[in-house]
Amino acid sequence: MAQHILEVLVENSPGVLARVAGLFSRRAYNIERLSVGPTTDPSISQMDIVVNLEGHALEQVIAQLDKLINVISIKEIIPNKTAPAVHDTQPDYQN
Amino acid sequence: MSQMNGASSLVASLEAAGVDVMFGIPGGAILPAYDPIFSSSIRHILVRHEQGAGHAATGYAQVTGRVGVCIATSGPGATNLVTPLADAAMDSVPVVAITGQVPSVAIGTDAFQEADIRGITMPFAKHNYLITNPADIPRAIAEAFYIASTGRPGPVLVDIAKDALQAMTDFKYPTSVNLAGYKPKSIPDNQSILDAAALITQSSKPVFYVGGGVIKANASRELLELAQLLGAPVVTTLMARGAFPDSHPLHLGMPGMHGTVAAVTALQKADLLITLGARFDDRVTGKLSTFAVNAKVLHADIDPAEIGKNRFADVAVLGDLKNTISALIPALKSALAKNQPDLTPWLNQMNSLQAAYPLGYDKPNDGTLSPQYVIERLGKISGPEAIFAAGVGQHQMWASQFVSYENPRTWLNSGGLGTMGYAVPAAMGAKVGAPDTTVWAIDGDGCFQMTNQELTTCALNNIPIKVAIINNESLGMVRQWQTMFYEGRYSNTNLESKRVPNFPMLAEAMGCVGLSCEREEDVDATIEKAMGINDQPVVIDFRVHRDAMVWPMVAAGTSNDDIMIARETTPDWDSQEL
Repeated sequence: MAQHILEVLVENSPGVLARVAGLFSRRAYNIERLSVGPTTDPSISQMDIVVNLEGHALEQVIAQLDKLINVISIKEIIPNKTAPAVHDTQPDYQN
Repeated sequence: MSQMNGASSLVASLEAAGVDVMFGIPGGAILPAYDPIFSSSIRHILVRHEQGAGHAATGYAQVTGRVGVCIATSGPGATNLVTPLADAAMDSVPVVAITGQVPSVAIGTDAFQEADIRGITMPFAKHNYLITNPADIPRAIAEAFYIASTGRPGPVLVDIAKDALQAMTDFKYPTSVNLAGYKPKSIPDNQSILDAAALITQSSKPVFYVGGGVIKANASRELLELAQLLGAPVVTTLMARGAFPDSHPLHLGMPGMHGTVAAVTALQKADLLITLGARFDDRVTGKLSTFAVNAKVLHADIDPAEIGKNRFADVAVLGDLKNTISALIPALKSALAKNQPDLTPWLNQMNSLQAAYPLGYDKPNDGTLSPQYVIERLGKISGPEAIFAAGVGQHQMWASQFVSYENPRTWLNSGGLGTMGYAVPAAMGAKVGAPDTTVWAIDGDGCFQMTNQELTTCALNNIPIKVAIINNESLGMVRQWQTMFYEGRYSNTNLESKRVPNFPMLAEAMGCVGLSCEREEDVDATIEKAMGINDQPVVIDFRVHRDAMVWPMVAAGTSNDDIMIARETTPDWDSQEL
């Protein structure tokens, strides 16, 4: 199974790592690797989450992650490609 | 902007959020908040257990469509809210819980009555907050109400450290809420509506699979118009009872583990599931790999994570269901004008199944009282405007099956979490939200013994609910499973509740009227007597036959194709053309 990297922008607030880690654990998904770091905006952190998931399971994990209020956006980095494109969950401001 | 302490800022924020009632119990950490509550316009109902506060907030929310509010202190006060908040999460009910926390300097020290309630509720709360700075209180309250009530509703907890309640702060309630990571989509994409309409016109065996989302979205009227436009059969899940009138000829009843043969079979044999605010719960689908194998799926929901979670959706429509159905009606009209499928053979099949396998029950042949009969009479005598809250178990299924629901928000139950003890406090909250409506709790003798202390709250606060205990002196649904799957070895399901407690005396002790009934000929008169008492809560101990079972049944983990209409009896499929 191919590894996928999720680039997750989150609010830099207490407990946000627990929210993300807890979601993976209770929905029975594994995290292969996780790193958290600052962005140029001090109120926003970036989590890079490597998962061994694809297809339906990957879509579900992205959809569930996106439900966390502190998660601002999720970009999926496709393996062997450089351009992040699909599953950009930047909020749709039309609605 | 005005200067006040955090506690006053909290209460002013709750008032600004439009709260008119909250259910709770004070304690050390939340005590500062109870001082401004004392002089607030908000009605505070002092419950007897925090679980009661949580379910009451849920019942209030389910009946009114507004956010229900409960409040408790730190530690055990907060942990007692865990069950009702998990319950509200599973059934998508908008609830805001306020809890006191130990002072911020004591957090993490195992202080007296300290519990990490934010951490504890993190797995199921829609969101939660730990506030240690009083300046953050108004924003947290505004966000909590916004998050709880928009998108897919759910519970939000705001935990506030005691020192934040005591410190002085400026109060300014936000005029708007803007959360970068939370933008629920309420208007569906036009293309998805067109795709949905096209998919529907390609179907000759469609069925409306209606879930609780239709009630949450206040979309019953729109659903009625859509269903009549297409003329397809409708099934309403346990959470959707009342979303579509039971008396409507297109209604086949409830699907699922204890659904009607017609409703279960309609889903099973359909070529299209028009899924509206439902989530393919295992109690509806049975063994998922055998569920509706020939059906395409149109899935309309406000929660993107429900799309494809359990079942692939051929067409997904994301948005508020009221908007979705309103947009679908004209789109379907124009699609049907070009291509009108003939649904008559399909409808005839379903109607013949409905006629062949209506819901029914056998009365006990030893002259004892039939629980289904009692519940049927409760529904008939109370009328279609009455509100019913049920606990969890056999009586819940019978209350769903044998009361006819004509209106949304008249049927309350713990569908997802299956919380025994839900009925009495939920009925209390419902009655507070709808004081001029008859509110019945249909409860089991097991459930009733978990939360009946709130009858004291009802008696003292002029909340005259009516409680029908379906007393089969057993944990009845567990006993039914023991009958079916454990060779009748009734391990620990005998409650002996016809001996102890004496329910009418217990009711009288709590300031209610206590009645008892064990003969069929007394049922109507007893219910009518209860209907005539509106200045006190009433409890009726209906002493019923203990071996009555809930039918039909799809055993857990089996296929809906193997539905049983009685023990080891399946429908005569050969006589049906499907």
